Amino acid sequence: MSLQRLFQKTLFGIFFLFGMIGVATSVLCIRTVDSYLSREYEANSKGIAKTIADASVDIILNRDLSVLQSLIDQFVEIQGISYIYITDETGEFLAHTFVPGVPEQIRTGYTGSTETVERRLPGIGDFVEVSSPILAGISGNVHVGMDMGLLSLRIQGAIGQQVYLITSIFVGGVFAAIWLVGLAAKPIAQLLSYAVRLAGGRADGDDRSEKLLARDDEVGHLARLFLYFSEAKDPNRIERATAAGPNPDMSGALGG
Amino acid sequence: MAPLTTTSKAASGSGTDGQEIVLGMSAAFSGPSRGLGIELYRGASAYFEHVNSSGGVHGRKIALKTYDDGYQPDPSVQNTMTLMLEDRVFALFGYVGTPTVTRVLPMLKKFQDQTVYLFFPFTGAQAQRDPPYADFAFNLRASYRQETAGLVDNFVSIGRKRIAVFYQADAYGRSGWEGVRRALKEHGEKIVAEATYRRGQRFESSMGRQVEILKAANPDAVICIGAYAACAAFLRDAVDLGLQVPVANLSFVGSESLLQLITESRPDRDRYTDLLVNSQVVPSYEDARIPAIREYRQLMLRYNPDPPQDLLEQAYSPLPQSFVSLEGFLDAKMMVKILDVLGENPDRTNLESAIFSIQNYDLGIGELVSFAPDRRQGLQTVYYTIVDAGRFVPLDDWKRRFA
Repeated sequence: MSLQRLFQKTLFGIFFLFGMIGVATSVLCIRTVDSYLSREYEANSKGIAKTIADASVDIILNRDLSVLQSLIDQFVEIQGISYIYITDETGEFLAHTFVPGVPEQIRTGYTGSTETVERRLPGIGDFVEVSSPILAGISGNVHVGMDMGLLSLRIQGAIGQQVYLITSIFVGGVFAAIWLVGLAAKPIAQLLSYAVRLAGGRADGDDRSEKLLARDDEVGHLARLFLYFSEAKDPNRIERATAAGPNPDMSGALGG
Repeated sequence: MAPLTTTSKAASGSGTDGQEIVLGMSAAFSGPSRGLGIELYRGASAYFEHVNSSGGVHGRKIALKTYDDGYQPDPSVQNTMTLMLEDRVFALFGYVGTPTVTRVLPMLKKFQDQTVYLFFPFTGAQAQRDPPYADFAFNLRASYRQETAGLVDNFVSIGRKRIAVFYQADAYGRSGWEGVRRALKEHGEKIVAEATYRRGQRFESSMGRQVEILKAANPDAVICIGAYAACAAFLRDAVDLGLQVPVANLSFVGSESLLQLITESRPDRDRYTDLLVNSQVVPSYEDARIPAIREYRQLMLRYNPDPPQDLLEQAYSPLPQSFVSLEGFLDAKMMVKILDVLGENPDRTNLESAIFSIQNYDLGIGELVSFAPDRRQGLQTVYYTIVDAGRFVPLDDWKRRFA
């Protein structure tokens, strides 16, 4: 137990270090993924809005609005696009995909701006609305509402995968640390047990003691050192201590 | 009775052989709007069967190759590819719906070297009447613009200027919406409120939110641009929620199916149907004074065509007569005239010149049909009907009915 306590700080240190790395990596990853996917989502949406705007010019100027409606109906089938509406230069809604109607917030608050805005439409959801002018705005604007719920789900999914990977590495690292610390602590525990038996005069001739004294590492050196000090009190037994190890370098055992 | 629907492919690759001329039809034979496709097919079949039993056109029988698109654009496009590239039909005939036809038109342009024309689609949209696709289609019926303009003009003439629109959220709805908008603009008015519904809604769906949106604008009348199930649901909820104004529907709605839904669900039917006024692009099938109506009723009774059985997902009770089947009947009659003019060796490349040679042809409804390069729509007249004693009858006096 005393040896486990000796390594507790090391273990906690390792946990803390792994934890910090995990948290820092996760936070960075969340920010990166969130920012990247949001930018990509917005860029794609703008691309779609621009495509519709470019395709709308001829339709608005020359053709029936049912063709315009057919066009936006095809785009609104793309996953993530929640609504599309097209206004003319006066702000009149020429075509849209809303059911049962254009939301009050959009209808009454329409300004003709083509800035990207975030909208919370009661009972419908949260959206990023991107816009593109038709014929530089003189024929109206196209507005595309992208579902933020879906964006959040995608971000959460991507982050979830990253965090899952980091957590797996963290858990694996912790178990590896415990195993390695246990590997280091075991011979020390055996050394302690040997020292106790030596002090009690019960270490002579048993297998465990012989294996310990035969080790060619710091633990073996320490065991032989303990035996040397123990037998130094009895000059008749000192010869056994010096002969116990394969290379009983006492100065090495003493840390020299 | 021999089935009209063919399962064989035309051997020559041009939709004809020594025995048959194959026409391809993609329409709604399933889903909430199946009544439209089925009745259009039945009306056309009655006339084609009559012609076939009389020896066909220059000895060739007319066969209809039918596919179900459920009134959905993607299946319609797929069916058209099959009809054009695999079945190699002579022409496309009797397609149902604006969202479907609007998506099919670019295919006709893409394969224009094959000169496959679309004849008499069951839609009044502009897409197949205006460039760049007008050259690939021939229409018989009046357009939605003509229907909506007629409704608006009549409402405005009796002082009902505050007009709201309830429409299907797609190309069909937008086409009608634009027609109403244009017509109101002529009178210096605007649409006072609008509400939409998703295509494919059933009668059981609630239209309460749509009614509330329109009711808030206090309209004098509502023009609906939809299919029968949704429009019947709207009428039901409008009356139930206290929106007591005239409710107009376009010809596409499927008047009898709408009336049937209201009748079956409401014992006090008249409370609902008294508000109805439906525009039609064919005369009333109740008017036996009209020669083509007599012929239609006689042939529908004689042949009583079955719906295409292999496309039916559920049992269907055919309507003895309807505006939709009458339109199909007239479409078929016009098609037969065209094939007749085309001669003994029908060749698609001669179709346009054959059609343009038809001038002042009497279909039997009192309006003469002429075609020309700048006139690819045969009929121009819009009729108005109301419900009286559970039947649609002509509306003679708007003021007395709705003022």
